[in-house]
Amino acid sequence: MDERKLITQAQAGDFTAFQSLVEPHQKRLFALAKRMTGNEQDAQDIVQDTLLKAIDKLETFRAESSFGTWLYSIVLNAGRLHIVHQKRQNMTPIEDLLDGATHQHDSHHLREWRDPHSVMEASEIRRFISEAVDELPAEYSVPFVLRYEDELSIKEIADLLKLSEAATKSRVLRARLFLREKLDSILKIEDSSEKVR
Amino acid sequence: MKKCADYLQELSDYLDGQLDPQLCAEIEKHVGECTNCKLMFDSLKMTVKLCRESGQCEELPAEFAQRLNQAVKDHWIRKFGKA
Ligand SMILES: [Zn+2]
Repeated sequence: MDERKLITQAQAGDFTAFQSLVEPHQKRLFALAKRMTGNEQDAQDIVQDTLLKAIDKLETFRAESSFGTWLYSIVLNAGRLHIVHQKRQNMTPIEDLLDGATHQHDSHHLREWRDPHSVMEASEIRRFISEAVDELPAEYSVPFVLRYEDELSIKEIADLLKLSEAATKSRVLRARLFLREKLDSILKIEDSSEKVR
Repeated sequence: MKKCADYLQELSDYLDGQLDPQLCAEIEKHVGECTNCKLMFDSLKMTVKLCRESGQCEELPAEFAQRLNQAVKDHWIRKFGKA
């Protein structure tokens, strides 16, 4: 059934309609809350608070955003208080990632990648990536997962996180580069000529 | 002249289909000529592809799902008088 119809019904007090609206998003809301808090218990509290708040504010929902995005905005607000200040990762400066050829040392030389599926099982890839994303501070990982797992646009994410679009883009890129580096460690094809040296 | 590092954000926007056509052409030209940027481009693209593939998340813990359902239902009844 279309979302607008369900919203009208829910706003009129139809509980089943509300459940149909919320159900498809629960897992993602929980995953997002876990990402922000780094802790399962806090994430559960946040998801519960979010759904109760959604009931309280149901009449205020206007179809300017999708219902899912609206729920995200509530989770992000609730999660803001809980955000863990993880230790900042040592990330390679962006300038060092390209222009590798001009470097004296060759640690950042880019190499071609093997087919990931020739190196690891799909389930291993999944685990590897989710661990790598977990290593990122939430300020980078949250925009990243909203972009590529939840498929929100940069504009939507910027609005949700109250960031400029430029800042959002740069955080998404930062996360992307960080994950690229992690994957590089297992996927790059070693250059045999350099080993001889 | 633009350095390769200057292309990074654009490379990323290009991969996301968020770049205007004129810049797209410029990127395509540079990536066609520059091995480093070509490798960066391919690996960034693969990174996102793998992340998308891995994006499915786990189910809610059963005990929590049940508790959540009940809390939501109770709250609904407080507000609307019925569920
Ligand atoms: Zn280049």
